[in-house]
Amino acid sequence: MAANFWTSSHFKQLLDAMEVDVVHSPDKEKGLTPEEFRLVKIHMTNYIWKLAHHVKVRQRVIATAVAYFRRVCARKSMSEYDPRLVAPTCLYLAAKAEESTIQARLLVFYIKKIYVDEKYRFEIKDILEMEMKLLEALDYYLVVFHPYRPLIQLLQDAGMADLTHISWSLVNDSYRMDLILVHPPYMIALACINIASVLKEKNATAWFEELRVDMNAVKNISIEILDFYDTYRTPSDDRVNLVLSKLKA
Amino acid sequence: MSDFQNNHAAATDDPSQSKLVADRYLKREVLGEGTYGVVFKAIDTKTGKTVAIKKIRLGKYKEGVNFTALREIKILKELLDPNIIALIDAFPHKGNLHLVFEFMESDLEAVIRDRNIVLSLADIKSYLQMTLKGLAYCHKKWVLHRDMKPNNLLIGSDGQLKLADFGLARIFGSPDRKFTHQVFARWYRSPELLFGTKQYGSGVDVWAAACIFAELLLRRPFLQGTSDIDQLGKIFAAFGTPKPSQWPDMIYLPDYVEYQYVPAPPLRSLFPMASDDALDLLSKMFTYDPKRRISAQEALEHRYFTSVPAPTKPALLPRPARKGETINSRQIDLNASVEGPIVLSPPRKSRRVTVQREGLDGNPFKLEKTDEHIRDVKNVGEASNQSNIMPMSIDLATAFGSRPSRPTLNSVDRSYLKRKLELDLEFEHHS
Repeated sequence: MAANFWTSSHFKQLLDAMEVDVVHSPDKEKGLTPEEFRLVKIHMTNYIWKLAHHVKVRQRVIATAVAYFRRVCARKSMSEYDPRLVAPTCLYLAAKAEESTIQARLLVFYIKKIYVDEKYRFEIKDILEMEMKLLEALDYYLVVFHPYRPLIQLLQDAGMADLTHISWSLVNDSYRMDLILVHPPYMIALACINIASVLKEKNATAWFEELRVDMNAVKNISIEILDFYDTYRTPSDDRVNLVLSKLKA
Repeated sequence: MSDFQNNHAAATDDPSQSKLVADRYLKREVLGEGTYGVVFKAIDTKTGKTVAIKKIRLGKYKEGVNFTALREIKILKELLDPNIIALIDAFPHKGNLHLVFEFMESDLEAVIRDRNIVLSLADIKSYLQMTLKGLAYCHKKWVLHRDMKPNNLLIGSDGQLKLADFGLARIFGSPDRKFTHQVFARWYRSPELLFGTKQYGSGVDVWAAACIFAELLLRRPFLQGTSDIDQLGKIFAAFGTPKPSQWPDMIYLPDYVEYQYVPAPPLRSLFPMASDDALDLLSKMFTYDPKRRISAQEALEHRYFTSVPAPTKPALLPRPARKGETINSRQIDLNASVEGPIVLSPPRKSRRVTVQREGLDGNPFKLEKTDEHIRDVKNVGEASNQSNIMPMSIDLATAFGSRPSRPTLNSVDRSYLKRKLELDLEFEHHS
């Protein structure tokens, strides 16, 4: 495995599954339900994705931005940290941290292009102010590891490179969940390989056995991902706006 | 400057001096101007320790938190080691980001330059060991420092040496990522970087550490090139022009140009004071082929560190006096070479060597002269003591007694670096 995950801040910051999906009390008081909380996070993940495709950044930057966003959501209330501003700022900060800076004015330009809605509109100064707040909220930990690199290595090792496309897409989709905050990236990669091999009817049991990983943990993550697919619907803008308007009150 | 004056100056600078910054730090005098903002001394009221606080100026172009500062934060948050500067805290204050570091009294450059300090072989061993320990830790964590030089090796009040200034550092997790070669101050740049490699590893830091080792032995920068071409010339004059058998990949490097063959003088002639073990380690760190170059960890396991004398305990190392002018020694060898290096360039690369026109004249005597010069280190050294009788082509600054200032990344390097780091994204936008 490339850079050293086990001694990284990412590893030390992994959270218990119970800790990540909790609605913070200021939001709860305003009536935000856990389901709505998840909905907003999915919506904002999609928003980061859309913005990223406009400003053209590497996959890695998108993944880091979403990880930042979800870390902030696990720590701060949405009443205090407006997700409509946090999401694009996470992309801005992630691009810097991943050494492919994007200009704030470009981001502002594309935000306006994607959303006519005034509540999404922010100026450069708002983004830069939020950048500083984000750094604090993230406790200045900026290095995030992702499943992509171990995924490629593992597939190669397994001689299942033909599963690359499908398992890569599965990893992409996993960012709509909080998996990156809870599990080591290579475990997420293994879960995606597991699902892909089942879908494509490849027998990978022998290879998995040789890996000496906690297969139960891999299966649990796999099931979590599959459950997510079962219930997933792209949240509509109207629905999200309705939820977010609760928080203003 | 006395403490009183310092405090007074700080007080006039900032009327709110008595107030705690971020409810925690008692601001003291300004220490200097860092790469990206003012650095001031402060007392951490939580621990009672003295700290150095860097106030990060916001970028000129409304681009928020300074990119270099952000990179330093990102890297330092991952590193915790006795030989790496500790980032204690970070906080925003009045719209500026502040970074809190442990306070360091001095740096290795001040030690090397201070002519009142005698560095014993045991002292040198100690400084090198601490440098390599910090480096080995970075490399274990897949971090390249990329700006190793004496000035960035800070020394604490307990004598511990710590790697600092990670503004150019990078995580080198993926082996195929292309990096800019415009890193390091020129004198510490490895030959593969000077030949424009885009894919490099921890060897670049080891080469720089070797330059620092040499500098500790010589008490002056070892290879003081005035251009990238000249830097390679200095390297080759010291270690001989590399043969393909020594470094098979060399000819494939992007900026590779052929240099006229120069044989290596005995290493011993360049470092008359060093022990055999020291020379052996030095030559392994100065190996041309980065794949064969010793790693920082292997270097630490070299017998040099177990043979006598044992490295001096950090607390017992000689301390530099307050920074002041030092007398220049006038030993000159490679760096006073009368002729520039002779570059034999394939025609398509001629653009790169136009600055070296005199070197291309192909005067057959030039090589001989350079060679003679190296053998005659001592004589040249003596001649230079009579300063003014030196020929013009000798580095003026050396001749007149003031050392050329250490190269840092110049503005061209910086803008190049910046462009590189932005990964051409901007261009995509405009299209």
